[in-house]
Amino acid sequence: MSGQAIVKVKGAAKIYGGIAALEGADFDLYAGEIHALAGENGAGKSTLCKLIAGVTRPTSGTIQIDGEDVKFANPKDATARGIAMVYQETSLVPQLTVAQNMVLGRERPFNSVRQVRNAARQVLQSLNFKVDPSQLAGTLSTAKRQMVEIARAVLNEARVVILDEPTAALTPEETDHLFDLMRSLQKRGVAMIFISHALEEALNHADRITVLRNGRLVTTGDAADFDRAKLIRHMIGDDLEETGNTTIHRPSGPTPPVLQVENLSMGSMLNNMSFSVFPGQITGIAGLIGSGRTEAAKVIVGHTKRNIGGGRIWLDGQEIRYSVPSQAIADGIAYISEDRKQEGFFDTMSTARNIGLGWLAKFRGRRILLPRSQLRKAADEWRSRLDIQGDDGDKSVIYLSGGNQQKVVIAKSLVQNPRLVIFDEPTRGVDIGAIAEIRRIVRSFADSGAGVILISSYLPEILDLSDRILVAKSGTIVADFPREEATATRILHAAIH
Amino acid sequence: MTLITDAIGKMLGQRNILEVVVLGVNVALIIAFAILVDGFATLGNLSVILSNSTPLAILSCGMAVVIISRGLDLSIIAVMVAGATTYASGIEAGLPGGLALLITAAAMITVGMVNAWLIAFAELPAMLATLASAMVIMGLFRFAILQGEFMLLLPKSNSAVQILTTDILPGISVPIVVTAVVLVATWVLLSRTIVGEIIYAMGDNFAAARLSGLPVRPVTVVIYVWAALMAMLAGLLISSASGAVDFRMVTNGSLLFDVILVVVLGGIPLRGGRGGLRNIILGVALIAVLRNGMTLMNVTTQTQDVIKGIVLLVAIATENFLNPRDIETDTVGDL
Repeated sequence: MSGQAIVKVKGAAKIYGGIAALEGADFDLYAGEIHALAGENGAGKSTLCKLIAGVTRPTSGTIQIDGEDVKFANPKDATARGIAMVYQETSLVPQLTVAQNMVLGRERPFNSVRQVRNAARQVLQSLNFKVDPSQLAGTLSTAKRQMVEIARAVLNEARVVILDEPTAALTPEETDHLFDLMRSLQKRGVAMIFISHALEEALNHADRITVLRNGRLVTTGDAADFDRAKLIRHMIGDDLEETGNTTIHRPSGPTPPVLQVENLSMGSMLNNMSFSVFPGQITGIAGLIGSGRTEAAKVIVGHTKRNIGGGRIWLDGQEIRYSVPSQAIADGIAYISEDRKQEGFFDTMSTARNIGLGWLAKFRGRRILLPRSQLRKAADEWRSRLDIQGDDGDKSVIYLSGGNQQKVVIAKSLVQNPRLVIFDEPTRGVDIGAIAEIRRIVRSFADSGAGVILISSYLPEILDLSDRILVAKSGTIVADFPREEATATRILHAAIH
Repeated sequence: MTLITDAIGKMLGQRNILEVVVLGVNVALIIAFAILVDGFATLGNLSVILSNSTPLAILSCGMAVVIISRGLDLSIIAVMVAGATTYASGIEAGLPGGLALLITAAAMITVGMVNAWLIAFAELPAMLATLASAMVIMGLFRFAILQGEFMLLLPKSNSAVQILTTDILPGISVPIVVTAVVLVATWVLLSRTIVGEIIYAMGDNFAAARLSGLPVRPVTVVIYVWAALMAMLAGLLISSASGAVDFRMVTNGSLLFDVILVVVLGGIPLRGGRGGLRNIILGVALIAVLRNGMTLMNVTTQTQDVIKGIVLLVAIATENFLNPRDIETDTVGDL
């Protein structure tokens, strides 16, 4: 790279409560480059971005913009220097129009509606991005909202745009569109940093890649010099291999299904969905976000009951219809949410209390007093069975890593000894090391003879783990592949077309 | 600044910093009142403080359990007055005390169940459900029993009323014993029972509690019935001590404010999931000392209200300052 760097970070460190989220980071960014940050969760990617965008201040080290030392007090200072950050959860105001959102924070006392709209339209058109500037932001899809944020950055004449996991919630088509947009910004000389967990995105779309690990910057180099294996090696730091394909295929055979769903319908989310799940197998359900997989799972366990348009569900041949999840738990069906923070663990409580509550939900019987020794025993057993680390006593789970938190949530359900578990995106937001462990847990649970539904938007995960793969689309199951017939292309084809 | 709070935090372990501040303020107040106010530091006054704070302590035990589950019971004072009215009418009608108490308890349990049904089954927000039920209870009782009056006199000579104010041992009256029993029962409920553990789980993360298969609806019933029974007990003690049931306690709102003040000052956050008996005692102690000291100093109730309001604001601001909830603390665990 030639010329002066727009952003130059020198020896930056950020300490949170005695723990270094980032240490001694040297990083630079040049005009017109797309720079990918790779690393496991907790590697320090977000922290680095937040320092540059003025969201947090470095504990030590300096940040230079155009060779000049800066100390941002807040994101507004960074915006004034042409730095914009696009968050995963977008920060648009849903009640305002696209155009109003684009000028938000820069309004003059009397904004002319037409002027604002025209300015917005010009930017949107120049980016070849088809959205009506007078549409309400709340009515846009996630992908479009993200692009509006990027357009806002362009309107603000941002020279540096930071994208935090921009593709996490996008379909493949939307992702392509996003990268097209990023390339057109690149031609205007805008520098971009993007964080991504999909290694292919970094390899295919970035000019340079920086890898972080445990708060340290491991390496920076041209994307062309990296390949998948090399990138992973840098990210995990030792010779841990990416999970291999260890699936043992089990034919569905003559065993009766543990769960049968027939013509389940709910509002516009589920549309005559039918499928069966067999014991001892992992039934993977692939599909896009919004294809009705999570909704079906929540209806099955009795979490959602409004608007159910019809359909029947059988568990081991007996028809069921739950009005609250506790009935499903009593019958041995557990749902492990995709959102562990909102619906998974109890964040003020220790690992042991979390697992203990799972035990109480199923086995409390007619007890009144807390059976302390039994709870302790169950918690200890599952902590060691799932190898939950980082909790040496009564520390609350909020301080554990994402992978260990997910294991706590899984333990809370497995302690109930269920016969059917629905894992909804079990490895989302989990570091690579723990991903392999969690997959092994799912596998061995199915091997013990229980039924498993695996909902995942990550195709390699579905392909790697499932014995049978179903594809959901618009609230119905559109394809059912045995393991040996499923390929990524066939699944995607069924999910999209 | 974070260095200082980190150091304080380490010294105290995991303990809530607000608790320590409140305890410190309370000790300072006691010392100040003892020096400045004649007759504050006497055995007689101690017993006055104790017996005057019994209804507040009992009400706070009811409210704390509700708030730990991330609920709120704004009907607690209305239920208190309704319970006392029911008991008084039973006695007026010539029923024996035990039977009157049984009828009252049954009626108040019903009220608690209606509150719980509105919240757990009809899924109304707890604040609105209990606010509305407070209005309904108030209106109904004033219309049906008091015929529009505000006061109902209690026959102080009746043995069923008298027993609620007598001394068992010198200085140890029935209200103090009842309060002690209630405090112990609250501790057992919160720390030793399965229901208590589920209450903490509901306050921590209701969606997770429900999805984990915990019986959140039955426990909600227990919570609001518990609150109604606490209200009833407090009502019996208050009205037998004063010889009257006064509905203006509901309308002027000062007692409800005190109860919430106790819970919040004691260190039980309104977002639920935390706190316990220690916090209730801490909060009651502060409010009881403050009320007593100010009354001895001849501070008018209006001024007392101003001071209590400021104390609440300072407490909440201090807590926010010591435990800032910003991006940095929100994202612990996913740096």
